[in-house]
Amino acid sequence: MDVTLINPFLAAFTEILPQIGFQQVEKNKVSLVGSTFSYNGILLNIAMVGSIKGVVLIGMSSDEAKRFASKMMMGMPVNEFDKIAQSAISEMGNMVCANACTQFSKLEINGLDISPPTLMMGQGQATLPVPQAIVIDFNCDDIAIKVYVGLS
Amino acid sequence: MAIKIMIVDDSPFSRTLIAETLTDGGYEVVGEADSLETALETYTKVKPDIVTMDIAMPDADGFEISRALLRQDSKAKIILSSSMKDEETELEAKRIGICGYVQKPVEADTLFAIIHKVLSPDTLFQELLARGLDTFKEALSQNITRMAKTTVTFLENTEIEDPYLSKGITAVLGVIGQYSGTMVLDVSFPVAEKIAETILHRPAKSPEEVLAMVSELANIIGGIACSMLNKKEKALGLRVSPPSLFHGNSAELVSPSVKIQKALAETAYGEIFLGIGFKKGSTLWM
Repeated sequence: MDVTLINPFLAAFTEILPQIGFQQVEKNKVSLVGSTFSYNGILLNIAMVGSIKGVVLIGMSSDEAKRFASKMMMGMPVNEFDKIAQSAISEMGNMVCANACTQFSKLEINGLDISPPTLMMGQGQATLPVPQAIVIDFNCDDIAIKVYVGLS
Repeated sequence: MAIKIMIVDDSPFSRTLIAETLTDGGYEVVGEADSLETALETYTKVKPDIVTMDIAMPDADGFEISRALLRQDSKAKIILSSSMKDEETELEAKRIGICGYVQKPVEADTLFAIIHKVLSPDTLFQELLARGLDTFKEALSQNITRMAKTTVTFLENTEIEDPYLSKGITAVLGVIGQYSGTMVLDVSFPVAEKIAETILHRPAKSPEEVLAMVSELANIIGGIACSMLNKKEKALGLRVSPPSLFHGNSAELVSPSVKIQKALAETAYGEIFLGIGFKKGSTLWM
């Protein structure tokens, strides 16, 4: 497992989430998955291109996505995962990945840029363009988030 | 009416200097702030056309304040001023969505020029929007015809639902360059199977082979479309990321931050959905 690819995301989550209304950001575990895995809920896709390239996916269950969006909107109730909630989650993904690029630059991995986020809502399987992806399990104020890092 | 400007800088000296320069240039300085809290508060109160932002500040830095301002108003136009001038700082500004970047000490003419440019219509982007979808359609058409030996017609005036419900296999490709974007190709498994069979001259051995074909097809279409756009306008410098695939789907797809232009291609094997969207905003650097 390439630790170089993990630390920028840990740093980015720890730095960004408190700025958008979260108190506690904990890393639960780090593991590896093959290129294909199942999902159920939401999966946010952000591509990263530069001296390394690939994709970062951020996944949550539908309920947790609603709770996450509600937190970002200062506790406003989110009963439906509507346009505003979708926009909140993708804004978070955008901020975290943009910040991860900055963290990578501190490790001399420069010139990274990100694509706008695309959000899949439902269930199915995802296949990343790398043989293996790193999965970082975060717990953010009791909301479980999976970050799949498929970069090479 | 004079253009309204708000200055964010922790140094009273710098603020005075920038304010005087701007006032002399005919701009109206409507507010000043020296921290995250005062910046958010002042912005809401004075609603400026432009915000000038220092990077190095003691608590929240210019990037953090810019992120917070853009969360509050995604249309906020921020120009960073910094003594640092390196590629990474510029890239970070671009990733956050900052419009312009000037090096300190700020020269009056440079500052005025960048304000003018930030407030001017972005013709390069408008051209990309006008030409983007047609170019991707052309790349899809050419390559499907060449590889899968079928003619492609695009259904005109079809209402494509939003959010888009996947037919089974979705390839999502990131585009990076002067503007970033997303390309989506979506097809049902049976249609993909038939295309794969034609390309391979035999039935696909496994579902994985079908998926690999969709991924490759998306990659080729995205890559060719971007080079066609780059050839017409070198400044675009578009590049694609390898695609992610979502399959076995009963999933809806949305793109909350960019508007996706959609097209539906009809082939002898069935329909292929194509979506393309670009994000406004590149960082001007002077």
